[in-house]
Amino acid sequence: MDFSTTSTLLTWMIFTPLIGAGAILVLLALRPLLRQALLDNLARAIGVACTAVVTGQGLILWGGFRGADGALQFVHRLVWIKQWSIEYFVGVDGLSISMVLLTAAVFLVAAIASVPWWGRLDDAHHPHFSKKKVPGYWILFLLLETGVLGTFCALDFFLFYIFWEVMLLPMYFLIGIWGAPPRVEANGRVRGGPYAAIKFFLYTLAGSVLMLLAMIAIYHNSGPSTLADGTASPHSFNVMALTQMFRDGTFAGASPIFGLAFAQAMFLALFIGFSIKVPMFPFHTWLPDAHVDAPTPISVILAGILLKTGMYGMLRFNLQMLSPAMVWAAWGIGILGVINIVYGAFVCMAQKDLKKLIAYSSVSHMGFCLLGFAALTPQALTGCVFQMFSHGIISPMLFLIAGVIYDRAHTREINGFGGLAERLPEYTGITGLAFMASLGLPGLAGFVGEVLVFLGGFGAADQGFRVLVAVSAIAVVITAAYYLWTMQRMFLGKLNEKWAGLWDMNWRERLTLYPLAAATVILGVYPAPIFNLINSSLHQVLSVVSVTLHAGR
Amino acid sequence: MEVGLTHYLLLAAAVFLVGMVGFIVRRNTLIMLMCVELMLSAANLVFVAFSRELGDEAGHVFVLMNFAVAAAEVAIGLAILMEIFRRRRSVDADDLNTLME
Amino acid sequence: MLPDLAGLRGGAAILPELVLTGTVFAVLVLDLALRRSARRGRVLLLVTCLGLAAAATAIAGVSAGAQPLFYGMLVADGFALFVKGVVIAAAVVGAILAALSPEIRRDQLGEYLILLVCLTLGMCLLAGARNLLMLYLALELVSLPSYILAGFRHGDRRSSEAALKYVVFGAAASGLMLFGFSLLYGLAGTLDLPGIGAAVVARGLQGGLDAQLLVVVAVLLSLAGFAYKVAAVPFHMWCPDVYEGAPTPFVAFLSVAPKAAGFAALLRFFLSGFGAPLGFPAPGEFPWPFVLGVLAMATMTVGNLAAITQDNVKRLLAYSSIAHAGYLLMAVAVGSPLAIRGVLLYLPIYLLMNMGAFLVVMAVHDATGSETVDGFRGLGARAPYLAVVMAVFLFSLTGIPPLAGFIGKFFLFAAALQTKSMFFYAVAVVGVVNSVISLYYYARIVRACFLEKPADAQAPVRVGSPAAALLGALAVPTLVLGIWWGPLLGVVEKALLLPR
Repeated sequence: MDFSTTSTLLTWMIFTPLIGAGAILVLLALRPLLRQALLDNLARAIGVACTAVVTGQGLILWGGFRGADGALQFVHRLVWIKQWSIEYFVGVDGLSISMVLLTAAVFLVAAIASVPWWGRLDDAHHPHFSKKKVPGYWILFLLLETGVLGTFCALDFFLFYIFWEVMLLPMYFLIGIWGAPPRVEANGRVRGGPYAAIKFFLYTLAGSVLMLLAMIAIYHNSGPSTLADGTASPHSFNVMALTQMFRDGTFAGASPIFGLAFAQAMFLALFIGFSIKVPMFPFHTWLPDAHVDAPTPISVILAGILLKTGMYGMLRFNLQMLSPAMVWAAWGIGILGVINIVYGAFVCMAQKDLKKLIAYSSVSHMGFCLLGFAALTPQALTGCVFQMFSHGIISPMLFLIAGVIYDRAHTREINGFGGLAERLPEYTGITGLAFMASLGLPGLAGFVGEVLVFLGGFGAADQGFRVLVAVSAIAVVITAAYYLWTMQRMFLGKLNEKWAGLWDMNWRERLTLYPLAAATVILGVYPAPIFNLINSSLHQVLSVVSVTLHAGR
Repeated sequence: MEVGLTHYLLLAAAVFLVGMVGFIVRRNTLIMLMCVELMLSAANLVFVAFSRELGDEAGHVFVLMNFAVAAAEVAIGLAILMEIFRRRRSVDADDLNTLME
Repeated sequence: MLPDLAGLRGGAAILPELVLTGTVFAVLVLDLALRRSARRGRVLLLVTCLGLAAAATAIAGVSAGAQPLFYGMLVADGFALFVKGVVIAAAVVGAILAALSPEIRRDQLGEYLILLVCLTLGMCLLAGARNLLMLYLALELVSLPSYILAGFRHGDRRSSEAALKYVVFGAAASGLMLFGFSLLYGLAGTLDLPGIGAAVVARGLQGGLDAQLLVVVAVLLSLAGFAYKVAAVPFHMWCPDVYEGAPTPFVAFLSVAPKAAGFAALLRFFLSGFGAPLGFPAPGEFPWPFVLGVLAMATMTVGNLAAITQDNVKRLLAYSSIAHAGYLLMAVAVGSPLAIRGVLLYLPIYLLMNMGAFLVVMAVHDATGSETVDGFRGLGARAPYLAVVMAVFLFSLTGIPPLAGFIGKFFLFAAALQTKSMFFYAVAVVGVVNSVISLYYYARIVRACFLEKPADAQAPVRVGSPAAALLGALAVPTLVLGIWWGPLLGVVEKALLLPR
């Protein structure tokens, strides 16, 4: 397998935000010379500009991507640490390109949502996060973007791990410092930004260290490969080469670990690591806390992108690299996926906080991805990746909507509202669209992913999946129920006089919500562009898995 | 009765055990330091015994070095002990509790 | 009969040690000569640092290889030279810290520096020791000045108490170790480590429990001394008390340098002595890797769990250094070439992170008088530079990429997993779980800095420019080495090319 550098576009894309962060750091060093307001606005401008540049680069990437090949494109490969066969190896294929494009778009939306420009912000009595320690916020924000883009593009296991961890630190600070202040709840427990941040950090780090051990174990057992400059190396971190080695049986001789075959043990370790991010039941408990207490743009990024990194990891490593073990685990993953769907849906029914409701609905929707992932048919996998993309558009919309009402009313309690449609018709319209998209109304993006997962699951080699699909379909009804009920409680009926003074959406909110809404509608009726991106890579991955599937049964 | 290597070793082991148990049980820091000296003496005894047995001088040399080191150690220990005694008028280990967590 | 002077050969190879001895005398004389001068402190510091730098340069010129020196007492191979370099670097930082800290009175700085350089001399000898007598003497040369320096805060009850606990505990541990050494001597008939190793292996091959018993008891007792020096379970109990009571500049030095030298000696003791164990040994041999691995797991876990409940930052860092000793012990238990590289790579990185963390603790203590986590509250607002640098050091200690601490841990875990033995896989799992636990208490300090308001509106914490420069000099490599660690790995490889 020979991957040589074809383009540096991805490197530019990954590191542009880092350059922006560096520029803000330089500005910070010049702090005595600048007024605080100027410094803040410069930081914001750099932040928005960087995300816009990355989006532009993403469009160029999309334009140049040839979806018909399943092959790796826009490869950039350099030797980094020769003694350990570690390379700087980035590239995109069908699995990752949709995620890269999604990242670029969602970060731009989040950046626009993080600035207090273009619209009224009621922060006289409630300090708004976008005015607090602004340069620090943007440095961490841009660092996060570098980490996420790197995670999706990295094809060297060590590099992937570095970028994966780089995502954690900025997130910790972003949730902890700019999130909700600490509060004491009714049961005496202390909750709030810092608590949610450390919970997120601890959970994700626990998963990451398992990934680290698996990575090292795979390295030590791997066979020889060639580095970017042509030198031979005894072992390899190259994900593509390792994939080939797993298929060739290079790892067949590796000693079993704690009773499991080597590939299965690696699968399990990596799966646990990624499933914490997805988040999969029972590792999901960090999500409600993190989402509720994070500031709106960070919730947008968390739900829109970070959860997808977990699924992407599963696709790239558990499915593509460790295909032999995938068949062994498929049934278990399917069941866990269904638990996600059903449990998430039922818990949503009981929620009183709008943001917490949306958080649990994310848990539920990621369950669809898991189910599609486990079913291992072309339709189901396409549904999984499409669901990743569409959820990555819809849940930012949902969180922005929650942000709109929170910025005005400074509360998110659903039962406290009522009849908002009278005062805020535009907001009600957009919310209606988002809720319908999220519950999977045909014609909107959410439907496509779900229906493909169902169809694919029904056609899976393992007949048991039909039961799983049936159970999930029931959960769709619950999803519709809670969304419609929330709609009714918040927007319909008589106006609650307490909120008579609220004002409708402003330009900043429109700028973030309308593009997402447009994408939702367009993808709902014309999903072909995304399909073209992912299909051939998925087929390549699946061809190997099906061989194992049909051989085993 | 012929006194051979085994007797020396048993004596050394006994002295060592007395020293170790004394160190663990006693609360007076001065006595604890003396018990440590007992342990060091036991080791010296073993060195000399084996040196005699094997005909090798290294053991004797070790013991000579040991004298110097033990003396230095005790000097430092007593100096620190004096410092503490001057302030608290006690060398009981149980009284050294300002650093307890 | 003239003695065999050929055995005395080795003068050039111990040039670093001779330079250090010269420095001790120079500082001693200058301290007396400049008794009345106001600039005494600065001159003494300068002389000390020059002497240490000269010793470090001398290291580069040593090329004795694995040749035994001075009747087989010392060896100046690449391994020893690397550790000597780390130790001298730590001493330079330690000397500067002492000069910067108000805890060391100006008129006592000379004595402090003399003792510090004596300590360094002891550690250099410890790194190269090849003989039980030299090991013992070097260990004592490290311990005795440490006892004094631990009590250097005059008039502070906690300082004297810390010193006394240190001395009593240390004396007992060295008593245990000495008894173990005496038994080993009897077993092997020689004080040389390779000779002892050969005798032990021969005993092991003979089989039988009674033949083994003497060896096992002897080695376990000898381990006591090493375990005490590197603060491993069950000889770690002195660590929190001494770290809390002793002056902070000394604690910073203590947490890094004696550990480095102690691990070097431990590695040499086990590897020269017993061959290179890799995974589980064959039946009939005593499973030393297993014993060390269990000790490593215990040390990591005790250190990390105890640190969670600490409020005093120095105690917290003490337990954290116990935990790090556990990670290093894991590599010692493996004993493979990769493990040795891992230990050598870890030591300079550990120097940067730990001494940096203690420097920040010193700065905060000097400004606010507080040594508790609460004293760090709001540091992000009051002294952003200090807070950011502290966050870098603490997250590096946790082992989070892309910081240098991650690379160190990566090597240690890679060594454990390379053995492909179930036991070491389990040890590695315990290790990573402990890393996650450690995040909790390191993040507590970072949270106090950034996520909490100061207890009362306090004046900004001012950091003098020498301290700020030193912090930068420690923090920048911590950041850079996380990404660009090839050169450091190259130095380690070069050091190990000279056979052990």
